[in-house]
Amino acid sequence: MIGLSDFLIVSAGLFCVGLYVILTKRNAIQVLIGIEMMLNAAILNLVAFGKYDRFNNGGQMFALFAIVLAAATTAVALAIILNVYKKYKTIDPNEIHELKD
Amino acid sequence: MENFLQAIDTLTIRFALAAVLLPLLAFVVNVCLPGKSNKAAGWISTLAILVSAVLSIFVFSKVWNQHQVHQQQLWFTIGETKLYAGVLLNNLSVLMLLLVSLIALPVHVYSTAYMGKDENSKRYFAYLSFFCFSMLALVVIDSLVLFYIFWELVGFSSYLLIGFWYTRSKAVLANKKAFIMNRIGDIGLLAAIAILFTVYHTFDIDQLFGANALVRTTAFELPGGWQYVAFGGIALAVAAKSAQFPLHTWLPDAMEGPTSVSALIHAATMVAAGVFLLGRVYPVFTESELTILAIIGAFTAFMAATIALTQNDLKRILAYSTISQLGFMVMAMGIGAYSSSLFHLATHAFFKCLLFLVAGIVIHEMQHVKDEYKLDIDPQNVLYMGGLAKKMPLTFISALIGGIALIGLPLTSGYLSKDGILIQAFEWSEGKSVLFRLIPFGAMLTSWLTAFYVTRLIVKVFFGEFKLSQINPGIKLHVSDGGWQYKLPMVFLSVCCLFPAFSLNPVLYEHAWLLNGFPRITGLDRVNIYHTIVPAGLNILSLFVIYWAYAVYVMDKALPFPEGGWIFRLSYHEWYIDKIYSKIIVAPVLTLGKLARWFDINIIDGFIHLLERIGIAFSKVADWTDRNIIDGFLHLVASIVLGIGNFARSFQGGRVQYYLFSMLAIILAIFLFKILI
Repeated sequence: MIGLSDFLIVSAGLFCVGLYVILTKRNAIQVLIGIEMMLNAAILNLVAFGKYDRFNNGGQMFALFAIVLAAATTAVALAIILNVYKKYKTIDPNEIHELKD
Repeated sequence: MENFLQAIDTLTIRFALAAVLLPLLAFVVNVCLPGKSNKAAGWISTLAILVSAVLSIFVFSKVWNQHQVHQQQLWFTIGETKLYAGVLLNNLSVLMLLLVSLIALPVHVYSTAYMGKDENSKRYFAYLSFFCFSMLALVVIDSLVLFYIFWELVGFSSYLLIGFWYTRSKAVLANKKAFIMNRIGDIGLLAAIAILFTVYHTFDIDQLFGANALVRTTAFELPGGWQYVAFGGIALAVAAKSAQFPLHTWLPDAMEGPTSVSALIHAATMVAAGVFLLGRVYPVFTESELTILAIIGAFTAFMAATIALTQNDLKRILAYSTISQLGFMVMAMGIGAYSSSLFHLATHAFFKCLLFLVAGIVIHEMQHVKDEYKLDIDPQNVLYMGGLAKKMPLTFISALIGGIALIGLPLTSGYLSKDGILIQAFEWSEGKSVLFRLIPFGAMLTSWLTAFYVTRLIVKVFFGEFKLSQINPGIKLHVSDGGWQYKLPMVFLSVCCLFPAFSLNPVLYEHAWLLNGFPRITGLDRVNIYHTIVPAGLNILSLFVIYWAYAVYVMDKALPFPEGGWIFRLSYHEWYIDKIYSKIIVAPVLTLGKLARWFDINIIDGFIHLLERIGIAFSKVADWTDRNIIDGFLHLVASIVLGIGNFARSFQGGRVQYYLFSMLAIILAIFLFKILI
């Protein structure tokens, strides 16, 4: 039987994959994908823990909100990436280091 | 202090002060004049001294043989001691005042012609005026401190004038010598003044040596030895200033200065300052001290006269004759012939000044001959002269009068004063031991020597043929007496050398008016046979000596002492005194100087260099420490900070993923930390 801990393991794995993608990829789009993975890991956790709230389905509801917010943030992030590309002619996060100092 | 002074006395004082200060004014004006040689300079100085002379005559007429005038003011106060300074006019000082200004006047007039063409004539007249101021101030001042100051100033102005031609090395050596020798005397005077002040607590000459002389009161006797130290100091001062043995050697060398200066300073006035000092402090001496003075004077007179016999330099002969006559004056002071000494001072000033002016003209003309024919001769050497009597008659007559006065033949002033000294010397030695008899007889012998060298001088210069023409027939002599600036002073001084200026009676010195101005002495009464025998014997023999000298030098008779004999050499080399001095004083002093220099360079400088090296070594160590330890520490700190900074900075690379990674690592580290603890 698939228990809560299996969900949490999958979620943790997904989170780690997302984190790895964020840290290592040389493309802002891929980094964005990594962020989505981590978000989804969190959402998976919300859904998994939602079994303890069967009457209000708070976990499910919160997951829906999170999905919507993720879509919105992705849209904003893509717009930012588009602008960054216009300015720097690259979307490699390592090349864009004007935030320093 | 003396409010009861009558108005006329105040006027006298003012006139005396004006007479003293006018030359100072001339000095200041001359210094301020533009240019090096200024025609006006000579006349400014001459005018000042002319007015001084007129004022001096007035002051003299008011004070001479009347009450003395003494006025003083508080000068300054140190603690309880009040120092007064002022003017003391008594017979002695007004006589000197008159004498100095009257001698200075013709010398100034003479100088306008003699030095007027010199390129530095302005400086010359400034110095001359400064000298006149110092000398006039010296004779009227009433405080020993100021006396000392002016004593120094006359020495200093003499130094300036001897070295007037400072480009000549001989002149520089001469003025240095004169200055150093005078310094020796100055130390003596200063010591004497200090002793007197310690005992009597006053510098006032009138209180110390005046009518109620403190030094004569028994209550304040100078304690034992100090009396002799004070005497020694004064004697030293007199010997230095009046060129007495053993400090006389500066005077002949001082002839390197302009001849007019020699006439005024080194013949007539400044050198008489020593005798004047004796006159001022006379009461301080005891019987035995006076005897020492007499011996010094007599010896100096004799020695200088013997030296003058063989010298060939015109001015040097006159210089030694000056030393000799000053010896007479000091001797006269020593034997108690106070008034005769001052009388001789006065007469000597006139005839010696005259002789120097004559010498100046002769030298001037010889210089012309030398320049004209480009000869290599010393214009002062009498051996090149001769036969000048026909060419310069007035100069010749003046020289003759001056020479006769110097010898002391009747009808001249020199006769009156010198015979007075000799007669009193004989009276003084009467009843004393044979040794004391040497003094009058020595003085008499000196008089005959004087007759000889004066005749030799005049014959060599004025008689016979002009020597240069004999050697070189091409030389034509066209010389003359010179302009009125030469003639007028000579005539004036010649007249003053004759007897009417001092006594209406040409043969008896006792009648001279000048002698009445000073304390009467027994020698003035014709009580004994000396008053007849001495002048008669002296003059008859003098005439014989003159004839003898004339015979030797004009008719070429054999010399009594062959040239080259030891007596001749002794005289020619001036008794070897200069050589002895340079051997036993100058050479050791120079050696000492060299030793000190060596010590300075090697020991003192060496020590300093050692310190310097140690210092350098220390500083090098400090430098190394500074660079390596102190700076090193700072650099270490700085590099640590830099390293930390760089390390911290490396996190701020601007790369977002790297930030994220760091954050993750830190969070992981915190978790690990929590787990481990």
